[in-house]
Amino acid sequence: MHEALSVLVTGVLLGGVYALISLGLNMIFGVLRMINFAHGELVMLGMYGTYLCVTYLGIPAYASVVIVAPALSVVGYALHRFIMAPLHSQPNMQIFATFGLLILLENAVLALTRGETYTVPSSMGIPVEIGELYVGLDRLLIFAIATLLAVGTAIFLRKTMPGKAVRAITQDRTSAQLMGVNAKRVFSFTFATGAAIAGLGGVLLAPAYSLSPYIGGNFILAAFAVVVLGGLGSVAGAYFGGLLVGIVESFAGYYIDPALKQAIWFVLFVVVLVLRPSGLFGQVGAEEVGLRPQH
Amino acid sequence: MTPILQGKQLVKRFAGLTAVDGVDIAVQAGEILALIGPNGAGKSTLFNLLTGQHQPTSGEVLFEGASVNALPPHRRARLGMGRTFQIAKPFLGLTALENATLGALQKHASPKVARDKAYHSLVSVGLHGKMDTPAHLLTLSDRRRLEVARALATEPKVILLDEVMAGLNATEIDRALDLFKTLNQQGMTFIVIEHNLKVVRTLAHRTVVLDHGAHLASGTPNEVLNNEAVVRAYIGGRAK
Amino acid sequence: MTTQVLSKPQQKARLRLGPIALIVLLALISAGLIALWSGDPYALNILTYTFLFAGLAGAWNIIGGYGGQFSLGHGAFFGLGAYIVGSLYFNQQATPLLTLLPAAAVAAVISVLISWPTFRLKGPFFAIATMAINEVFYALANYFDDLTGGPAGLAIPFKPAWENLIFVDRSSYALLMLGYMVLVLLATHIFTNCRTGHYLVAVREDEEAAAAIGINVTWTKCVAMALSAALTAFGGGLFAMYIRMIDPPTVFTLAETGVKFALLALIGGAGTLFGPMVGAVAIVPLETYLRGYLSDYRPGMTLIVVGAVMILAALFLKHGIVGALRKHFGSQP
Repeated sequence: MHEALSVLVTGVLLGGVYALISLGLNMIFGVLRMINFAHGELVMLGMYGTYLCVTYLGIPAYASVVIVAPALSVVGYALHRFIMAPLHSQPNMQIFATFGLLILLENAVLALTRGETYTVPSSMGIPVEIGELYVGLDRLLIFAIATLLAVGTAIFLRKTMPGKAVRAITQDRTSAQLMGVNAKRVFSFTFATGAAIAGLGGVLLAPAYSLSPYIGGNFILAAFAVVVLGGLGSVAGAYFGGLLVGIVESFAGYYIDPALKQAIWFVLFVVVLVLRPSGLFGQVGAEEVGLRPQH
Repeated sequence: MTPILQGKQLVKRFAGLTAVDGVDIAVQAGEILALIGPNGAGKSTLFNLLTGQHQPTSGEVLFEGASVNALPPHRRARLGMGRTFQIAKPFLGLTALENATLGALQKHASPKVARDKAYHSLVSVGLHGKMDTPAHLLTLSDRRRLEVARALATEPKVILLDEVMAGLNATEIDRALDLFKTLNQQGMTFIVIEHNLKVVRTLAHRTVVLDHGAHLASGTPNEVLNNEAVVRAYIGGRAK
Repeated sequence: MTTQVLSKPQQKARLRLGPIALIVLLALISAGLIALWSGDPYALNILTYTFLFAGLAGAWNIIGGYGGQFSLGHGAFFGLGAYIVGSLYFNQQATPLLTLLPAAAVAAVISVLISWPTFRLKGPFFAIATMAINEVFYALANYFDDLTGGPAGLAIPFKPAWENLIFVDRSSYALLMLGYMVLVLLATHIFTNCRTGHYLVAVREDEEAAAAIGINVTWTKCVAMALSAALTAFGGGLFAMYIRMIDPPTVFTLAETGVKFALLALIGGAGTLFGPMVGAVAIVPLETYLRGYLSDYRPGMTLIVVGAVMILAALFLKHGIVGALRKHFGSQP
């Protein structure tokens, strides 16, 4: 029983990581229906950015978010302008181009670091006692921020005008434009925000994980799985989907086999996709929105 | 005599909207039936129910006396139902000949033979001069003609035409009427959705009128077009 | 009037080599190159990989190009073929020559089982699902370690014999892969000219219209997928006996296999007969050369170039090299 609880807690905290990464992707893929396979690379860049800030600017790890997040939003803006916007109505080419970007960034960092692993020191690595278990404070922080972010994003999309504009644009660009929404600006802004969230994710993850160029690639398929599983555009879906995936992975890794821990939820992902493409929390039919040709 | 194609008490509801409301429709082999009614009356939806693009909320579709409710569109097409769509959908990346060939392949497995048959289909609609033109370069009315050619190439027993006369000039309409009459004399059954009432009068043996998804009137074109209720539905008298 | 009508559907009177003639010509030229460089193991290695990937890209092209089903997970079938042939030889000493076809058949069956439910997914979702399936195969290869050697993989013993598909001289390998490329070209040509092949293109263009003229959309896609998977697995089996060291990363890494097959076909021209081959000729020698030249400097340099090529190809080479040539010279699509 104690064992199962420990696995559960690990799973929930892992889920927090997945949720964190997926929330940013949810803005870009879930809401804008743009497929950015390099999203994990944005997180990775955020992590390395944090390292740079800590090492060369001497600021504490978490404080570097004030530099890293805006920097990543600029990267996101450029990514959208030069790659995503030209490929607006070609989702397969988006996958292709951003996968190419993934490979490029992954290996650019590999080349620059010559394969050395770096770690980011932080004072938050102290273990916290929960009942009989010890968990790292840094991981708790990830979970907490992910939750806050989920709530914040949900409020933004549902209650604020800019948020509604974003959703309108995806559903019917022409009509939204007739209503006075500046489509280009909305897309750029939302994409940049998604990238900034990815950067934030990187800052939070940096103290908890050792830095590797491959970390983006490791997370990206999972992030897509979470967003789809949870339901495109649904913030609750990305959040709870992330938790679910983390828990499944943790239990599968412990009770079945570590080699299969990801495979299990990949299979789950494909099954859900086939049976209910709108995901667990999504509106039926929502998965087609934004991927239909716009005139 | 068993109708070749029949819809019994067909109902189609889309969350909140009843598009087709208990419609009975039947066409005998060799007949030309015109389906008319104001916009939004449910005519295209009825077509979709007959050919299988939509499943009826209730009701039955019978082809040659046997129920086809369980059959998907491609099976119904193979049984002998051909159709065109309200917004013409030829294969845009392919040439006119390739489009028609794909229709002909249904009855002729050899691509070479199919191509020859397809060519004749193009001739019958007057598109053979543009046989190597990619469909996306064709005008809208040519695309419509191509869809007809492609459907005809499948050598159907019953063909459902959805507003194929729209956008044609008088000469083209006459030519199309000639083609349909010839095919009809050779045994092909037609159900046509038409707004052009002159076409309806010239071509159709019988007419059915739909309004708001329900059957409003049926009979010969003359009977129906002189029917007060039908005229009101088109011109829009006040609802009582 | 009648004579005009009957004479229309002929080929335009223009000197054009038929596809079969072109394939034979290419085979002869390639064989000539092999003979020419028979003393140069480096050049032969490049030729071998070029032919192999031309075949693999061609196999992908059947479902991805002609069929329009953008699978990025074909590495799953590649690895499946490699492991079936390699593992059966390693564990059971089963003759590779004899296990190639069964491996292809197994891949065909599995591909239909997987794709039949996933074909209902729209474009990008289908692509992502195939990537997920690729990852599942990757994990399974690690897991069933008594069959596959697990993460360490299989080191296939060097016992040269033609039925083992293991050769001492590299020219034989190059010829073998050339044969594979020709096989894929012929299979593509025959398939795309039969009724189902025609139907596949209709399905790619417009599924609803295709169904309305009697085409069984799912069946057509499944047939194409089965053929594509079978040919891919066949290539995987040949690959296993060439490289004789297979482990999960080598065959299941998306960037190196599944995505690359699509990349080569796209660059050359997806949905055309010779497009995949053109793509392979354009990229594989270049990449092999770069790998040797750049990796001395720093790790990962070659892949930076690969990544950049992918981005540029997606942005500018939508119809591939063959497509661009066709537009330029105005021949019939």
